[in-house]
Amino acid sequence: MEGDRIEEVRLVHSPVDEISHLALDIGGSLIKMVYFSTSREQPIDKTQINASRDSHAVSRSSKDGHLLNGRLYFLKFETSKINECLDFISSKQLHYRGLQHCGFPASDKNIIKLTFSTMVKATGGGAFKFADLFKEKLGISLDKVEEMSSLVSGANFLLKAVPSEAFTYVNGQRNYVQIDHNDLYPYLLVNIGSGVSMIKVDGDGKYERVSGTSVGGGTFWGLGKLLTKCKSFDDLLEMSHQGNNRVIDMLVGDIYGGMDYLKVPVHFLVTWEQIGLSSTAIASSFGKAVSENRELEEYRPEDVARSLLRMISNNIGQVSSHKLDFCESKGEAKAMFLRHEGFLGALGAFMNYQLVEEFPDTIHLAGEKNRNPLVGDLNDNGVIECCVQARPAVED
Amino acid sequence: MDGLRKDQSLVGATDNINEETNNITQKVISEGGEETMVPPVGNSIHRSSSRPQLDLSGAAIQGNFEERDPTILLPNQSDDISHLALDIGGSLIKLVYFSRHEDRVVNDKRKKSAKERFGVSNGNIRRTFPILGGRLHFVKFETAKINECLEFIHSKQLHRGDNDNAVIKVYTMFEKATGGGAYKFADLFKEKLGVSIEKEDEMDCLVAGANFLLKAIRHEAFTHKEGHKEFVQIDHNDLYPYLLVNIGSGVSMIKVDGDGKFQRVSGTNVGGGTYWGLGRLLTKCKSFDELLELSQRGDNSSIDMLVGDIYGGLDYSKIGLSASTIASSFGKAISENKEIEDYRPEDISLSLLRMISYNIGQISYLTALQLGIKRIFFGGFFIRGHAYTMDTISFAIQFWSKGGAQAMFLRHEGFLGALGAFMSYEKHGLDDLMVHQLVERFPMGAPYTGGKIHGPPLGDLNEKARWIQGPDLVCSNQKGTYFICNLLQISWMEKFVRKGIKITAPVPTASPRTTGLGGFEAPSSKGDTLRCDESNLNVGVLHLVPSLEVFPLLADPKTYEPNTIDLADPNELEYWFTVLSEHLPDLVDKAVASEGGTDDARRRGDAFARAFSAHLARLMEEPAAYGKLSLANLLELREECLREFNFFDAYSTIKHRENEASLAETRLLTLIEGVLAANIFDWGSRACVDLYHKGTIIEIYRMSRKKMQRPWRVDDFDAFKERMGFGDKKHQRHKRALLFVDNSGADVVVLVANSLPALNDVTAMELPEIVAEAAKHCDILRGAAEAGGLLMDAMINIQDSPREKSSSTPLMVVENGCGSPCIDLRQVSSELAAAAKDADLVCCFNILYIYLVILEGMGRALHTNYNARFKCDALKLAMVKNQRLAEKLIKGNIYDCVCRYEPAN
Repeated sequence: MEGDRIEEVRLVHSPVDEISHLALDIGGSLIKMVYFSTSREQPIDKTQINASRDSHAVSRSSKDGHLLNGRLYFLKFETSKINECLDFISSKQLHYRGLQHCGFPASDKNIIKLTFSTMVKATGGGAFKFADLFKEKLGISLDKVEEMSSLVSGANFLLKAVPSEAFTYVNGQRNYVQIDHNDLYPYLLVNIGSGVSMIKVDGDGKYERVSGTSVGGGTFWGLGKLLTKCKSFDDLLEMSHQGNNRVIDMLVGDIYGGMDYLKVPVHFLVTWEQIGLSSTAIASSFGKAVSENRELEEYRPEDVARSLLRMISNNIGQVSSHKLDFCESKGEAKAMFLRHEGFLGALGAFMNYQLVEEFPDTIHLAGEKNRNPLVGDLNDNGVIECCVQARPAVED
Repeated sequence: MDGLRKDQSLVGATDNINEETNNITQKVISEGGEETMVPPVGNSIHRSSSRPQLDLSGAAIQGNFEERDPTILLPNQSDDISHLALDIGGSLIKLVYFSRHEDRVVNDKRKKSAKERFGVSNGNIRRTFPILGGRLHFVKFETAKINECLEFIHSKQLHRGDNDNAVIKVYTMFEKATGGGAYKFADLFKEKLGVSIEKEDEMDCLVAGANFLLKAIRHEAFTHKEGHKEFVQIDHNDLYPYLLVNIGSGVSMIKVDGDGKFQRVSGTNVGGGTYWGLGRLLTKCKSFDELLELSQRGDNSSIDMLVGDIYGGLDYSKIGLSASTIASSFGKAISENKEIEDYRPEDISLSLLRMISYNIGQISYLTALQLGIKRIFFGGFFIRGHAYTMDTISFAIQFWSKGGAQAMFLRHEGFLGALGAFMSYEKHGLDDLMVHQLVERFPMGAPYTGGKIHGPPLGDLNEKARWIQGPDLVCSNQKGTYFICNLLQISWMEKFVRKGIKITAPVPTASPRTTGLGGFEAPSSKGDTLRCDESNLNVGVLHLVPSLEVFPLLADPKTYEPNTIDLADPNELEYWFTVLSEHLPDLVDKAVASEGGTDDARRRGDAFARAFSAHLARLMEEPAAYGKLSLANLLELREECLREFNFFDAYSTIKHRENEASLAETRLLTLIEGVLAANIFDWGSRACVDLYHKGTIIEIYRMSRKKMQRPWRVDDFDAFKERMGFGDKKHQRHKRALLFVDNSGADVVVLVANSLPALNDVTAMELPEIVAEAAKHCDILRGAAEAGGLLMDAMINIQDSPREKSSSTPLMVVENGCGSPCIDLRQVSSELAAAAKDADLVCCFNILYIYLVILEGMGRALHTNYNARFKCDALKLAMVKNQRLAEKLIKGNIYDCVCRYEPAN
C-alpha cells in the first residue's frame, strides 16, 4: 500500500500549534493527499532520520498578507480504505484550517483564530462520489476542483518551482533535468492513474486533453492481482523487477525468426519500472501463453508481473508518442518523470487555494539526500518546503 | 460420422489403387463445370457425362508402390485446375485456389454473327481479355487437422495445376509460435503431396491480398457500428494511401501506397496473442474461439472501472466521457477482495477483448492521423468478423477522431494472407482484374467464415440434394466419404437442417442487434442471439468473367446504382423476403415441371427450396452476409440457386407455350401497349401468378390491352413519339437501338437478352428461334431478322452483303451477361458492350441522341435502373405488378404502366 509511510508519521506537537491546509485527489484506486503545515516537526520517516532541519517558520511580509514558511506533505491511501484517510484527517485535525501561535506579531486584524474549515479542495472522481461521506464523517464539504486543471496546475507548479523535479531515465540512471522556465511549454502531460490522461499543456490554465487510454495503473494492478494473487500494488511492482517477460511474451524474434520488421524509431517511451528497454522487442504481449500448454500456476508470478508491466508501460508510451506531433523534432522528445508524479492532482487542488507563491528560490525539497534512485524510490514523496500566504479566514 | 470418415478416408480409398492401377475409372464429379476431383473408390459413383473428366492417360503411381498412400500422377490434366496458396495459421489453414472455367460455348452461330457484326472476333476477345475466366475458391481447415487439408489438395490435384515446379505458396505468421509453422508442415507436404512449400513475405502477402480485394470486389469493405454493417464503395483511383492494420499475435500497421509499395509504420505488442494468451491464463479456455464465444455473454462492468464508478454515476461530460466509458480496464479488480475464481470467465473475456480492441483502434487512428491517412482497414485473425471486436475498434476510432475517421473491415479478411500468397504466383493472371469482371456466387458449399471450419464447395449435385434433405442421408453417399466430413462442417446449413428451421415467412427482425456501444454499454441482447458465428460473413466463390464490361452508354458509371429500392430499410427487407418466401412453392412446382416432374426433379426441387430458404434465413439474420444486399442480388441468388440444383430453365415449359400463343404487334402505340401489357406475364410477381391461375395469360393480356388507356401512370409517350419522327420536327433516326427484353411471351421485339435463364425471361439462346417463328407472321420483322442474320436462310449471305439485303433495320440478338431478372449495367457481356461501343465513337461528335436504349420489364426498368441515366436516349417501359412498388416508386397502383422517356442530355 502506498500509504505505508503514513504509519510512520508521528506527531510531536499538538496539531493546534500548526497551520494546515489540506487538498485531496480522490481517484478510482488511490486517494492522494497534500497538506501544508507550519509544524517544525515533520513526519519522521525511517529513511529520513537526518532530515530534520531547523526550519523556523519565518514570516515575511508581502503586499497581500503574510508569508509562512512551512512544508507540503504528500500521502496516499487506497480508495477502498477511505476510512483510513478520514481517520487520518480527523486525527491530525487537518480540516481545521487555522493560524495560531505562529510567531506573528498579533495585530487586531491579523489575529487568526482556529477556524473550522467547511471547505476542502478536492479533485478526482471521488470528490463527487464521496462528498456525502466527508460531510457526514468530518462535517466538511469538498470544494470540487476540476481534475485536469488540477493536474496541470500541479505539474506547472512543480516544473517551475521545484528544482530537480523532472528527470529522465536512461539505462537505469536517473538524470535530473533542469527545466528552462521560458521553454517549458508546450509539453505533454501523461497522467497515469487508474486510467491514463494525456494533456497538452500550453501555459498556466491553458491545456487540452488530447488523448488517453483505459489501460493504465488500474489495469496493471487489477490484472496483476488476478494473475499473481499479489496483495498490493507495491508488491506487484517489486515482483515485476525480478521477473523475466521473455517467458510469456512472444518476442519479435519468436515470430519473425529474428528479422526485424520494426523499423520505426521509438520516440517516446514511458516505462514505469524505468528499465528503458525498447518496446520493439515484444511482438505480442502474453503471446507465448497461447502456444504453451501451461496453466497460470505454472508461470512465475514475477514473470507475469513483468510482462504485464511491460505491456502497459509500452502501450502508454506508444499512445503518448503519437500525441507529440506538436514537438518540432520528435526524435528528440524524451520521456521525463516527475518526482511528485502521483500528486499532481492533489497539488493542483491545493494550488486552487491560491496560497502558494511561486518563488522558486524559497522552495526546495526537504530531506533531499543522496539516496539510491533505483529501487524503493519510485514514489519519492519528497516533502516540499515552501511559503504560503497567510490571508484566508481572517479577511473574509 | 467421424469414425466413418476415418474408416473410408481418402487415404484408405487410394489404397485400392495399388491393386487396380490399370483400373482407374474414376471421374471428375462436378456440378456446372465445378471441378471436383475425387480419387477412385469402387464403382458406385455418380457419373455425369456432361461434366469434365479427369484425363487419366498417363496416370501413374508416384513413388514406392508399397507406400500406404502413394501419390497418383495425372500428368495430362486439362487446364482447369490452377494455382493454390495457403495461409497456415496457428488454428486455421486457409486455402485459396483458382480453377479455370471457359464460358460454355452456347449458340455458336448467333454469337458468331453478332461478333462479326460488331467487329469482334473470337481471337480479338482473347487478346483483349488476357485474364482467364475461372473461379477463385476460399476454403478453411483446422490446423490441427492438417491431414484433411492435404487430402483435399490431393483430391483436387490442386498441387499439380500447370505449375510444373510443384511449389505451393504459403503465407504464415506462426513460425516459431506454432513450433515450426510452415516449416513444420513443409516435410508433411513433401511427403504426402510431393510438393515444396515456399514461404512468402508476410507483409507482401497482406498488402497484395488487400489491394486485390479492394480493387476487384465492389463491396469488400464495410464499416461496423453498433452491430450494423454498411458497405463502402471504394474509389479505385482514390484508394491510396491507406493504413492496413493486421491484427495477428501482435499488430502491424502498414501504410500502403500502391501495388507492392508499402511500409510498416507502426504496430503494437498488444494484439490477438495477448487476448488469447492472457485470456487463456485467466479463464482456462481451450481455444481462441471458445474465449471469443465467452465474451459474447460477458459484462465487463464487473471488472472494468467505468467512469461512472469513479464519479459515482455522474458523467464526466466535460471531456466527453459517458458513465459507461471504461476509465481503467480491469480497474475494479483492484478494490475488490476477489480472487480470479470469483469472476465470471465471460466477464474477463469481454473486458480483455474490449481493452485490446479499443487500444488497437486508438493506436491505429493515431498512426493514421500522424501520417495523414484517411482510410484504415483492419484485418487479421483477431477480428474474425466478431461484432464486439469490430464495434469496439470502430468506437475507438470514432471517439478519437470525433467522428472524422472510420474503421473499415474486409469481408474476405480471413483470407488476406492466403490471397496474398496466391497473388505472389507470377502467372496468376489476376493483376489487371477489374471490379466489373468479378461476380461472387454463394453456392451451398461455399465457406462461411466463422469460427467453424469448412471444406470445399459441394461437388456433386445428388450428394448435395441428399445432404440437404437431412444428415442421415449423407451416410448413404457411396462416392467415397471425403465430402461427407466436409459437408458436416458446413455449419450454417447444418444448423438449419438440424434445427429443422423451416421458413414459412420471414419474421420481423428483432430490435436491431446492438453490441452496445456508444459508450461501452453492456450488450443489450445477450446469449444466443449474439453468437459469434452469426455475426460473420459468408465468403462465396469468386467467378472471374473477363468478358464482362461496364455498359458504355451509362452516363456516369461511378455514381450508377442499379437498385431502385433500398433494402437497408428493414421494412423493405422484410417485405421482399416475404414475397420471395411466399413465391417459393410455386417456383418449385414450375421448376420440377420443367424437368418433367420426375422423382429426381422433385427431390432436387425440395433441396432447392431448402437451400434457398436457408439463404433467406441467413440473410434475414445478417443482411450483410453476402455483401451489400439488394433486390437484384437477391433475385440473382435465387436463379443461381436454381441453377445449382440443376434447374437450368425452370420456366421452359411455360415460356414455350406462351410464345406460341402470341406474336407480333408493330405500330408504335400498339407496340408499346403490347410491351406494357405483355409485361403482365411475369413469374416473379405474386399477383401475376395468382392471375395466371385464374386464366391463361393471353386472355389477361387481351383484357389488359383494353383497360390500358393512356395516360399511363408515367407517360412520356408523346415525347417519345415526337422523337421517333411522328411529330413536326425532323429528327435523325436512331442509329441503333438496344432493347433489353425481359419476359418471354407476348412481346417479342428484341435485342438484348439474358445469358442464362432467369424466371421466365427470354434468353439470348431462345430469341432467334422465337424471332424466326414471329417472322413468319410479320414481314417487317422478317426483313429485320434477316438483315440481322437471325434467320437461317439469311446466314449464308450475311458476310457478303449484310447491308444491301433489304432496307429493313437489322435485328440482332446479343446476350447481356446476366442470369437474373434484374440487370446491373456495370457488368454486362462484352458482346453487348461491343454493340454499344460504337456509341462511344459517336459520342465524340456529340450526336449521341441517335442511340436509343430501351429497358423493359419490372426487373430491368423498375427494380433496377429506374433512376439510371444514360448518355443516349432512354426509354423505360414496364407494368408495375406489385402494389407496394407502385406506391413507392410512382405513387400509383398495381398494373399501372410506366413509359419513361429520357432524351439524352
